[in-house]
Amino acid sequence: MGGEFEGVVRPRRMRRSRRGQALVEFAVVLPLFLFCLLGALDAGLWAVQTSAEVSAVEQAAMVASSAGSSPTSETAPDAHAVLTSISGRLRSALFGTTIKSWCTTNASGDCAPDATQRCPTTPAEVQDVDGPRVVVVCVSEADPPACATPPPGQVAPYPPGCEDSPMITVRVVGFVASFVPPGFGPGASGFELPANISATTHTLRFAP
Amino acid sequence: MRRRRRRGDDAQAVLETALVIPILLFLVCNFIAVMVQVTVQEQLNSATALAAQSRFQAPENAIDPSGTRCCGAPGMSLATAGLPTGCRYAAETFYGTMTTYTGLLHWLRATLCTSGGDSGNAAIPPMQPVAYAGSPSNAEVSCDIGSIKPGGTVIPGYVDRALNPPAGLNVVTCSASASLDFADTPLAWGVFWTPTLHAQAEALPPPFRQ
Repeated sequence: MGGEFEGVVRPRRMRRSRRGQALVEFAVVLPLFLFCLLGALDAGLWAVQTSAEVSAVEQAAMVASSAGSSPTSETAPDAHAVLTSISGRLRSALFGTTIKSWCTTNASGDCAPDATQRCPTTPAEVQDVDGPRVVVVCVSEADPPACATPPPGQVAPYPPGCEDSPMITVRVVGFVASFVPPGFGPGASGFELPANISATTHTLRFAP
Repeated sequence: MRRRRRRGDDAQAVLETALVIPILLFLVCNFIAVMVQVTVQEQLNSATALAAQSRFQAPENAIDPSGTRCCGAPGMSLATAGLPTGCRYAAETFYGTMTTYTGLLHWLRATLCTSGGDSGNAAIPPMQPVAYAGSPSNAEVSCDIGSIKPGGTVIPGYVDRALNPPAGLNVVTCSASASLDFADTPLAWGVFWTPTLHAQAEALPPPFRQ
């Protein structure tokens, strides 16, 4: 009797426990699988976007550094002008992300000349000002120190590098949209991808 | 017998999980490492191209005076003080641009080393790039000056004022190689290779120069 009972009930219990085991396995594997899938997709997206940012920043640095080398312009262009020259390249890669220029605009909508204007150094700084999924293009120029009469024992030009042309830095910085939709990550910017690429070079000045 | 089979099934499931999870994580780590490598390679290409171009940003009479040799003296810092202007511009541009991912990756920094000189009459044979004394052997950056013959052949290593009057310098080739080390990152768990990256760029003089 006992044997019959066992023969009827145990397979049912076993089936139920196997179904339960499969469910637990599925519940464990699904998040892991999704994590790996989204991680791999985001890593690929990050590489593609960073590649576009690097080439755009390189082009922007060349544009900005050679602006003064043409007979029609003598100063470095502002962030608006630099953004215009690279926006096509950036927009095709940074989908779902707003691209802006980082500067104080004047009444006519151009970048106001402001010597104290500095570029943001972290994506979080951009997010604090412009919100999530915004990338800014910033151009900053660092002038060399003023030349002075060299003290005894020192050679002109003094201080060293005072006759250098200014150094120009173009930076693309901010948080870029990823494949994980907003709200699914830990916090507002949980799965956004940080972007912080810069290029620095000396400016080229026109001389007839 | 059945209990033993069930225990066997459980053990098999645990074993399968114990095998699959590390393999999965290993693949993900290596996938991310390849993506990082591609990105840093892009950055290296960009920094090298800008460095080559920036040698022409210096005033024309400041580039490569006679006997120029841009390798720093032993013990000289990355500030590149004392280098000729053209070389210093290239160095400052390279290191100013090659700034990202240095925290994520154990980037082996090197200093710029440039060889070459102004032969004036092409009598002095070309000089080979010489590594900077303080540079790690697997991370060197060099920018080589050169002249272009009328047929388009590049003569590396020296400036020929007779061939290309009045400046002599009409091509700059910068190259950089470095190895990436993932040892200081969490990727080190599954990445056992150290990729070596190489980039090379040539620049020609722009139409207007100071």
